[in-house]
Amino acid sequence: MGLKPATNPDVEAASIDLTIDGKTVTAKDGVSLYDVISSTGKIIPAMCYHYTFDPFGSCGMCLVMQEGKKAPVRSCTAKATAGMIIRTEGDDLFQARKKAVEKHLSVHPLDCPVCDADGHCELQDMAFQHQVTTLANAKQKLIPEDTRSLVLDFNMNRCIACGECINICKDVLMIDALQFMKKGGFTQVVAKGDAPLACEFCGDCLAVCPVGAITNKFSKYLYKPWQLKKTTTTCNYCGDGCQMHVETKDNEVVRVTSPLSWKNKWGDRSETAKGHGGLCVRGRFGFQFIDSKARLTQPLIRKDRKLTESPWIETVETVVGRLADIKARYGPNAIAGLITARCSNEELYLFQKLMRAAIGTNHLDSSARYGHLNFVHAAQHALGVGRMTNDSADITKAKSILVVGSNITETNPVFSLRVKEAIRVYKSQVIVVDSANTNLAKLASHPMLVKPGTEGLFVKGLVKSVIEQDLIDTDVTGRHAQAFAALKQAVAGLSLDAVASATGVSKVQINEAASVFAEAPRSVIICGEGIVRRPGGYQHVLALIDLLWVTGKLGRPGCGINTVTEEANEQGAVDMGTSPEFLPGQVPSDSDEARTKFSKAWSTPLPNKGVGAGLMDILKKCRNGEIKALYLVGENPLGTLPASAEVKPALEKLELLIVQDPFMTESAQLAHIVLPACTFAEKDGTMTSQDGKVQRIRQTMDPIGESLPDWQILAAIGSGLGCASMEYESSQDIQREIMKLLPGYYNLGQPKKVTVNADGYLSNGYQAEAAGRYCAEQKAADGGKRFSLTMGQLLYHSGKLSTQASGLLLIASSAGQLHMSLQDMERMGLKDGDRVRVWSAKGTAELSARADLSVLPGSCFYPEHFNSPPIKDFMTVEVDAVTGVPYFKQAAVSVEKA
Amino acid sequence: MKFKAWLKTITFYEILVGMAATMRHLLRYKPITLQYPHEKRTLPDSYRGMLALLRYDDGTEKCVGCDLCEAACPSRVIRVVSSEVPGEPTKRYASEYYMDMTRCLFCGMCVEACPVDALGMTREYEWAVYDKRNLLLNKQQLLAIGDRSYPVREKRLEFQHPNVAFFNVAFKNLPAKGT
Ligand code: SF4
Ligand code: SF4
Ligand code: SF4
Ligand code: SF4
Ligand code: SF4
Ligand code: FES
Repeated sequence: MGLKPATNPDVEAASIDLTIDGKTVTAKDGVSLYDVISSTGKIIPAMCYHYTFDPFGSCGMCLVMQEGKKAPVRSCTAKATAGMIIRTEGDDLFQARKKAVEKHLSVHPLDCPVCDADGHCELQDMAFQHQVTTLANAKQKLIPEDTRSLVLDFNMNRCIACGECINICKDVLMIDALQFMKKGGFTQVVAKGDAPLACEFCGDCLAVCPVGAITNKFSKYLYKPWQLKKTTTTCNYCGDGCQMHVETKDNEVVRVTSPLSWKNKWGDRSETAKGHGGLCVRGRFGFQFIDSKARLTQPLIRKDRKLTESPWIETVETVVGRLADIKARYGPNAIAGLITARCSNEELYLFQKLMRAAIGTNHLDSSARYGHLNFVHAAQHALGVGRMTNDSADITKAKSILVVGSNITETNPVFSLRVKEAIRVYKSQVIVVDSANTNLAKLASHPMLVKPGTEGLFVKGLVKSVIEQDLIDTDVTGRHAQAFAALKQAVAGLSLDAVASATGVSKVQINEAASVFAEAPRSVIICGEGIVRRPGGYQHVLALIDLLWVTGKLGRPGCGINTVTEEANEQGAVDMGTSPEFLPGQVPSDSDEARTKFSKAWSTPLPNKGVGAGLMDILKKCRNGEIKALYLVGENPLGTLPASAEVKPALEKLELLIVQDPFMTESAQLAHIVLPACTFAEKDGTMTSQDGKVQRIRQTMDPIGESLPDWQILAAIGSGLGCASMEYESSQDIQREIMKLLPGYYNLGQPKKVTVNADGYLSNGYQAEAAGRYCAEQKAADGGKRFSLTMGQLLYHSGKLSTQASGLLLIASSAGQLHMSLQDMERMGLKDGDRVRVWSAKGTAELSARADLSVLPGSCFYPEHFNSPPIKDFMTVEVDAVTGVPYFKQAAVSVEKA
Repeated sequence: MKFKAWLKTITFYEILVGMAATMRHLLRYKPITLQYPHEKRTLPDSYRGMLALLRYDDGTEKCVGCDLCEAACPSRVIRVVSSEVPGEPTKRYASEYYMDMTRCLFCGMCVEACPVDALGMTREYEWAVYDKRNLLLNKQQLLAIGDRSYPVREKRLEFQHPNVAFFNVAFKNLPAKGT
């Protein structure tokens, strides 16, 4: 609650007493009077108010009488002060509010029957509540509808100039894409500069607009709110785990709405530190893949080289028969499986159970291997916690935030709002280390633009700088004097000048960043793909942990290290044990105690200790013939990994390739058996967000065609293979089993607090590790290539899944473009859309180029979601020695005008 | 007294009283039943018969696809599928419109609910069919009923403006002018 929460969360605002309708109420000093009134449970009308941003005070509905004043006051913009005597009801107030409604209606069109807001409109509700039946002087606005934007239509005849859209975009999202403009005698909302709206398209303005002035192009005029069935579920795109309402009509998804809405305008302002309930463009507008025409609807079996439709019973029998046959002929280790981290926890659990218990192999992996496992392994190893250590509120309230290698406003837009709120409300210092001029860097107090691929080196430079500037917390380092000595010695060989010249950031700036981070009382780190998906990722995360440790932030409340994930359930995939090294609950798969526990629970012995291959090893074993059968659940290594990873020969060599996916992927085209799976919208289960919240996904509609939820298919195959304990009636049955094995895992929506403990790590073998970590990195020779090519994520897409969502393709089409800096394009005489040729030793490709202000001269960017042209094939694959994570996102290339 | 009662009993007096009206009609025969289908009754104007979709005088559809009839209908007869008029972003219309007349109770709520008077009740009642599926009517069929039952069409409203969403009947593109 508050006009603005106290800037420093450490200081409590003073308490004051005031009288509301004869009752004495205690409130915090300086908060909005409206908030105080609504905190007593009394709801008075308010059309321009929303708790997530500062009151605007334009609608004139929230009137109350204050003793000593003749006219009613607007309670939203009035500050609560001690001794106020307030009356919130009475005929005079009713009439005054009615006048305000009449004023809005007198310039409002009679559009209700054709308006998308009809039945879900605050102005309608208010007119009804205040019994407005006749209007003395009504006039029409006749403003043409603005349909220029790709996503949102603005019908300014219906706007009541409440400013909510502008305020949320400016205050909460810090995008500031909208403004008021006086046009044709009326104040209208237009995109900045009255240009076609081209923003991040999060749609939060649409959500808070209390009337039908903003409409969504993808569902405009297709529904009335009462026709829709609304199901609350969890977004399946990224690891933020936003809650959303999928609204369906029969078996069609009409729109997606967010908990953030004008209907939901009463709340406690300080609660926004945990989240504001909005969505990003992918969650809100990327729903079309669910009922897309491209969905697989029938199981397919390859007969005479062609995939032909086949009934489920026969298909499952074939799958079971052929798996059993391969197991009998070559042993269980000839079978391997990969699963996507977009599946639910129950499915991930079931998948590893199928692999380990029903088949008896430990060759299994998930898409968390593409980077997240670097973070998990480092954090497990050093801190004993296999996930990020802070929750959203910690990040919002941090005093300094180090964002390294993470274009977080693009990859995890809703999570990035925590950082934005920290900047805006809590005045945090933010250090952004990235090789692109990211949106967050533009807002940050300390943007650090590094050369591509040197984020890790910069982190090491920070550790060095902290030690050199003596910013260390001697209490903490004193406890592990030996380890500290080792670290000191390890960084001795590193010179800040060398770091400065390699990263392109001056020594002064490095030192300043180090001192900002070290001196703040609460500092958090957020690292993303620029760390965990680049060579040395595992070591770089450990270096970040070193930084936390020496500055005394390890284990201190409000401090910690965090990561973001690309897929919705990467954390769940790790927690459910879908990797050779972990059993469910992140216990090492060679721990005897855990092995006994699980083999008892599954009443079958587990695969031998020490056996087990991860993603890259599985592909190698496929190629050399050790693995004969591969089961891909939603995974598409052929579409993801570069040609140099030789995925195609690996898959072609297999005796049996089973692909279970909602779509016909590149890998599925090579499959012997294709099983049609459901998307998240057609099944029940839970997902674990990156910060450890376990949240439900709920079935919103019947499965499309003959497709089935993954867990049903897995259970059928498992029981077919003779595993008695794999018969489940519903996903709840699986949940119950997991609950028994992992007590406390289902925290349902609550972030779990973790305690970190680095003592073991610092006292055992730390010396040797540190010595290796800080040795100078040799830079790969770029062979005279002038451009550093990076592959990464776009805001408008997520993995390959989003390329099936027509709405997102409309915003960013799948004909991939090479993003280049303006300077380079000018130098080469290129215009937006001109064709360029990209080449390296690995091949050449031709595509169109576009200017991107965030790209630095000398580098270029290609969205990893698209394979036309297959730029990924320019990449070489380097595999992390410790964690087996493949690195393939950067390469040196030449670019010239085609 | 006893004699009177005895006399009434033996002459079946009560039955005769009861039958008096019948007897009278036996003698003075005047038919009441209409000889349907050879004869037909004149129906009152407010007769609630078969439903129809209406057009304006220039042949454009009145329906704006607002779905209020669907919401008002107590027996879920109506299904409206609404869309944007292609090329005219402000205008909404019913791209599909179905009525399942097997369920209709001719209450007239839908007609009441329609904000543009696009629905009407006709005096048609001869809708007996051999196959119930023939009572699932689509938009074209409903418009055809309207065309034959309402030869005099309402004049389209004076107030037409391309920037106004309501009364979208001003649209140029769809549908082609009817007969
Ligand atoms: S915004 Fe509300 S009041 Fe205005 S036309 Fe739409 S539904 Fe009616
Ligand atoms: S869609 Fe999001 S970014 Fe775009 S104007 Fe609306 S609130 Fe702002
Ligand atoms: S468009 Fe909607 S949210 Fe924005 S000012 Fe108008 S009524 Fe308010
Ligand atoms: S993609 Fe991520 S940030 Fe966007 S709505 Fe989904 S979970 Fe939230
Ligand atoms: S007359 Fe009554 S029952 Fe029949 S369609 Fe209209 S509202 Fe429904
Ligand atoms: S809510 Fe206070 S003026 Fe609108």
